[in-house]
Amino acid sequence: MRNRCFLLALVMLFCGCALATTALAAEAASGQGRHEPAVSLKPIPLVQIGKFAVTNSMLLIWIVAAGIIAFAQIATLNIKPIPSGIQNFWEWMVEGLYNFLEAIIGRELVRKTFWFFATIFIFILFVNWFGLIPGVGTIGWGHYDPNTGVFHIDRPLLRGGNADLNMTTAMAAIFFVLWLVWAIQAQGVGGFLKHLFAPKGETTGVLRVLMAVIFFMVGWLEVVSILFRPISLSFRLFGNIYAGESILEAMSTMVPLWLAWLPPIPFYFMEILVGVVQALVFMLLTAVFTMLIAQHDHGPDQAPV
Amino acid sequence: MNIIIAAAAGGLSQTLHDTAETFGWNPWLFLSQVTSFVIVALLLRRFAYKPILAVLEERRRKIEEGQLNAEKIKKELAEAEKRYQEILAKANTDAQRMIDEARESAAHLSERKQQEAIAAAEQIIAKAREASAIEHERTMESLKRELGRLVVETTAKVTEKVLTPEDQRRLQEEAARQLA
Repeated sequence: MRNRCFLLALVMLFCGCALATTALAAEAASGQGRHEPAVSLKPIPLVQIGKFAVTNSMLLIWIVAAGIIAFAQIATLNIKPIPSGIQNFWEWMVEGLYNFLEAIIGRELVRKTFWFFATIFIFILFVNWFGLIPGVGTIGWGHYDPNTGVFHIDRPLLRGGNADLNMTTAMAAIFFVLWLVWAIQAQGVGGFLKHLFAPKGETTGVLRVLMAVIFFMVGWLEVVSILFRPISLSFRLFGNIYAGESILEAMSTMVPLWLAWLPPIPFYFMEILVGVVQALVFMLLTAVFTMLIAQHDHGPDQAPV
Repeated sequence: MNIIIAAAAGGLSQTLHDTAETFGWNPWLFLSQVTSFVIVALLLRRFAYKPILAVLEERRRKIEEGQLNAEKIKKELAEAEKRYQEILAKANTDAQRMIDEARESAAHLSERKQQEAIAAAEQIIAKAREASAIEHERTMESLKRELGRLVVETTAKVTEKVLTPEDQRRLQEEAARQLA
């Protein structure tokens, strides 16, 4: 229980840190003009397959996924009982994450859900970091502006994966569906509804009726809160990563071109940290939401949104 | 604030549409990303986590098995120690009993041998006495005969006459009587 309190406090701290970063970045980005932001808010479709599209952010995601799979395959190519080298690193990462999640959501739930939370953390982390590599967002198709003498990229080949709202809403929506499935698997449909609307605590008589009415109404608030979770999850991640890209862009354009490499350097370190923090926040929140609905006790479940 | 005003003026759906348009969100791109992420997550599950989780599970199982084996060995060792102590205690008891029996037996044997030795010694003494008596008797007989002969010879020489066999027998009997 103490561990859970500590982790929730950690989540709050990270959220605070992340929001502060977002505010700073948004302020910097606003200097670039309201209607034409320095970094485009929209992903660019590279290939159109019917109504579906492969966007530049999707391409980056596939590159990162391929990299992770290749790394994992190389790490497990020649498995030794006593690990060393990259097998050791990969084991450390996966086992550390597994034990961390096990401490939060319990042994049974982690067996079932680890693949998703591990994907969320490792994938978001490396997508965030990959987006910081110079060339992402700056290599692509564009035009030369004779007035400023600068080449502007209109259609970048790669875009930070989580700087695309479609991507973050997709992850949040998939989590929402899985959360619903896991909740019903753990509680059953009746248990799930009871968890939301049924009165908690031991009361009798008139007080019991009153509590039933109150908890029924509170249940609807909980439903609204649950429905807003995917929105808050996706906008939090998108906002932080997009703001990071904007701040790096703003820092490199606020000085003469020959010195453009210097101001973004401290912010790169900050973005490396933000990448970890946001991956951790997304994973921790989704894990805590799952834990809260899948646990069988009827304690208070005031979850962050 | 602008969003709230727009919502009041143009309705929620228009606001949502504008927001989606601003952020570059559209349903088909969203579905593309959902498909992409599902594929990526399943691929990562199959090729990135499954092999290493299998290794970790195998190691965890081996450690648990090792711990169980260690517990079992410890239990068996304790049982063996107990059995060993029991066997040792039983052996001690048996040995003590055997020693006692041997002591008792030895005491009996010693007693019996002593009795036998005493009997044998008494027998030897009796035999020796008997032999001594026979020898004494034999010596006395010989002495008597010799003395009788000497008495007869001496008497014949002293008296310078030839003694009759009757005299000789009488003299010999007289000498033997004197010797006895």
